[in-house]
Amino acid sequence: MTPDLMAVQGVAVVLFCLGIAVAMTRRNIFFILMGVELAINAANLSFIGFSRTLPAAMSLTGQVVPLFAIAVAAAEACVGLAMVILIYRARESLDSESFANLKE
Amino acid sequence: MISIIYFSLFASIAMGCGLYLLIAKHPLYGALALIGNMISLAGIYSLLSAPFLGVVQILTYAGAIMMLVVFVIMVLNTAHDHEVPRFDWRGVYLVPVPAALALLLLALVYFNSPVADATALRGTAQNISQFMFDTSRTDNGYWILFEFIGLLLLGAMVSAVLIAKKRLSTHKEDV
Repeated sequence: MTPDLMAVQGVAVVLFCLGIAVAMTRRNIFFILMGVELAINAANLSFIGFSRTLPAAMSLTGQVVPLFAIAVAAAEACVGLAMVILIYRARESLDSESFANLKE
Repeated sequence: MISIIYFSLFASIAMGCGLYLLIAKHPLYGALALIGNMISLAGIYSLLSAPFLGVVQILTYAGAIMMLVVFVIMVLNTAHDHEVPRFDWRGVYLVPVPAALALLLLALVYFNSPVADATALRGTAQNISQFMFDTSRTDNGYWILFEFIGLLLLGAMVSAVLIAKKRLSTHKEDV
């Protein structure tokens, strides 16, 4: 007995919208990174929800893709946090407004 | 019945933690909310008969990645960013576009009404490793993708060390 697949997709859409909202509206650079992570998680949840609709061996495709997505997200977090440390050294600030010198 | 109770519990924890991430004041509280979100998502994965992915989610996401995030937040905690406002309200105008796209996709899914296939396999470690690496049964190239992921992680590690190094100069004498 699995939960309702439509409800799973609804939760995934809510989490995706929250992640995009965090990444686009917050000014602290850590929140931007964490919003992207939340959106990736929502996409993984959607994949796993849809994998239940496929027959037999095909259904594992929907579980292997999130496995690779998690590995790529690990690489992304690794490089992203290194870049956060680098730009913090340059500006002594975590506010994304202080990295907007292309705007002036 | 019990799976529906567990699902609604995990789903409400996940969405509540996501909402708290949006409004949290300090990034450390946001990171803790994100860890709660990932652990409850691991519970949902196990309910959707993907127990291996639930374990990988806790090990890699809630364990490794969020540990790195919390560590860097604590290292850079000396920044005086408490005075700046939390939100950049110009970004709000961009949020409806991906949200509308996601809702459109949800409506498409709703009208095609996904039905669970009874023959779908349970994603245990054995089933997933056979699916990925047993080339005699499925001749797809997941194993070579696996090798490339290893290469990508190695490259990410090397580039993270190079980026975060104290001195990064193109001059030959002080490299």
